[in-house]
Amino acid sequence: MDYLYDGTFEGFLTCVYYHYYNERAAGIFTKDKYQMTLLGDYKEIKTEEDKAVKVYNAIKQKISNYDLKRIYKVFLSTVENKENKMLEYIVLGFKLGPKVSSLHGNATVFAVQDAEKKVGFEVHRLTGLLRFSVMVSQSGQEILYCEVEPDHDVLELLSSHFTDRFKHDPFIIHDKRRNKALIANEGKWYISDFSQDDVLDYSLEEREYRELWSKYFETIAIKERINPKCQKRCMPVRYWKNLTEFLYN
Amino acid sequence: MDNVYEKLKILADSAKYDVSCSTSGVDRKNTGKRGNAVAAGICHSWSSDGRCVSLLKILFTNKCVYDCQYCVNRRTEDVQRASFEPEELAKLTMEFYRRNYIEGLFLSSAVEISPDYTAERMLKCLKLLRFDYGFSGYIHTKIIPGVSQEILHEIGLISDRLSVNIELPSKESLGLLAPQKKVDGIFSPMKQITETLTERGFLRGPGTMFNNEVMVKEQGSVIPYKSRSKNKELFAPAGQTTQMIIGASAETDRQIVKISQSLYQRFKMKRVYFSAYIPVSDSPLLPNRFTQPPLTREHRLYQADWLLRFYGFTADEIADEKNPFLDLELDPKISWALRNIEKFPIEINTASLEELLRIPGIGTISARRIVRQRKFAAVRFDDLKKIGVVTKRAKFFITCIGRYYGGRDIAPDYIKKEILSADNIKMNLLPADKNVQISMFDIANPALESKNGYLIQSNLDIGNNINNNITTF
Repeated sequence: MDYLYDGTFEGFLTCVYYHYYNERAAGIFTKDKYQMTLLGDYKEIKTEEDKAVKVYNAIKQKISNYDLKRIYKVFLSTVENKENKMLEYIVLGFKLGPKVSSLHGNATVFAVQDAEKKVGFEVHRLTGLLRFSVMVSQSGQEILYCEVEPDHDVLELLSSHFTDRFKHDPFIIHDKRRNKALIANEGKWYISDFSQDDVLDYSLEEREYRELWSKYFETIAIKERINPKCQKRCMPVRYWKNLTEFLYN
Repeated sequence: MDNVYEKLKILADSAKYDVSCSTSGVDRKNTGKRGNAVAAGICHSWSSDGRCVSLLKILFTNKCVYDCQYCVNRRTEDVQRASFEPEELAKLTMEFYRRNYIEGLFLSSAVEISPDYTAERMLKCLKLLRFDYGFSGYIHTKIIPGVSQEILHEIGLISDRLSVNIELPSKESLGLLAPQKKVDGIFSPMKQITETLTERGFLRGPGTMFNNEVMVKEQGSVIPYKSRSKNKELFAPAGQTTQMIIGASAETDRQIVKISQSLYQRFKMKRVYFSAYIPVSDSPLLPNRFTQPPLTREHRLYQADWLLRFYGFTADEIADEKNPFLDLELDPKISWALRNIEKFPIEINTASLEELLRIPGIGTISARRIVRQRKFAAVRFDDLKKIGVVTKRAKFFITCIGRYYGGRDIAPDYIKKEILSADNIKMNLLPADKNVQISMFDIANPALESKNGYLIQSNLDIGNNINNNITTF
């Protein structure tokens, strides 16, 4: 039996609940992406909070908090077939307990570890690669605004770093791919739907600082050591379209 | 703003030869108005030479009274000169920082009038940034040799990391190429930084070299561990680093690695950086303007540096008296393993962590993963790839549950040939099919050369370059 869920983490956990207390899940898929097959049986699972909480706590207690976080990070990834990788990992985890994360040679563990690494790496990368612009609201307040198109759904994983760093600067990180944004002010943040129409106007000085940065970026390279391959390996070209240093060159 | 634009251009151009751009070593929450620091360090961009850009790396001024032969800013060189005002630079740093272009400031300077005069101007700018603007991000300050103890101390209280560049690896080269710099002027600030850190119980040392040692002052005021966090006045919490130019003077790799080791041991530096010499002058004492920078040599030295800091190797093991230069074809870990082939093969399932770290193809992460997994399940050869081991290297040096996977018997010449041919295929230097004879005309073909041949060319140039250096002296 294939289980279909609504795309939320709670929905996924509810499916795990039914996997144990009802019929075994052959696979877990999101509703909108599911391809029906002729022979396969499927069932839509309604998200139920109490069941989700039960699974959530069971993972935390019987496996570990570390693995719970790991599973959540994999959930935020766009790795193919992630639900089934997570399910296999949870099943293995309930069998083996906290030592599951130490079995690096196991294919199930490897798949999850790999997906987690991709998410973690993108978060780390984006802490450096986000580029804010100073915008001005109608009341004259300066707001930092940034556009980003991450591979994985990493907005909330970026929140703690930037809310601390810009404690007194209101800022918006706009995930253009998913049409949502992290909106933060004075150390508090929330994630909401966001569209291009909500973008404010640039401040007067913005262009000057962009040009200064572009000039600096160009100057700092040593021409005797030019190595575009290395540059692209460290900073994949798919991120370049949102980087200030490439806007004016 | 036009003014700042010009200054930024001139002073960034002069600062680009400083290698260090790391922002690691200190974890700090936002205690001021804006900014924090992350122990792992964050890179913000990569310039077209492939080096990361994480700090606004800039000189305060490039007006210099010294005449060091290897330096672009030497007094006798005809370049545009400029100086920042403290206010200008502080504002620029803040504006860059809040747009997340940079992780902080790397402030260096040429020597204008005197070391103390310059250092005081730099200090004024740093104070403005930290206290008036409330900047809580990363600051790396370069200490000018010969600066007074009081000013150095004040700079240390504001900065996260300090560096005093040694530039040339020996007294003789220093006397020859930078006669105005005194060896003592370089080492006494280094010593002062190490001592201050020791007194405050903040000395951590490089990598995992000193993991098991307690580094506090031996007699008298040992600061108990707990009071460290309460001690709010931080002095250079990310430690100190230094930098050496490679290829401007005649030192061997062995000398350079030995000097790095002694810098780590004596001063507990966090890093020693190497910078391949890029010809900037026509001085008869230096390689001429057309020599290529010795990039492969620099790369091998960095690999050796990692072996010192994280893998438990000593300088004598990396480059012994018979082999004063590192092999440019093979990395120093493989070279060491081939020289000490009698220590191999090592059984993955019984070797200690220290032994695992010495196997080519196994890194610090994979070694630890092997140890972790062994507690619950034996490590099979098929697991190694998932663990992160580079099996095409490691297979020659290990056994897995008693079995050897390296093919024929374990002989250095055979292993070297196998590893090199695998690498050459990757670099497109040799045809993947062993039966195809490599043709001279392929390499001479300019179209091919631009695509594949730059590796050949640079390798050859590096070889020549080293020869040049040796013959020059």
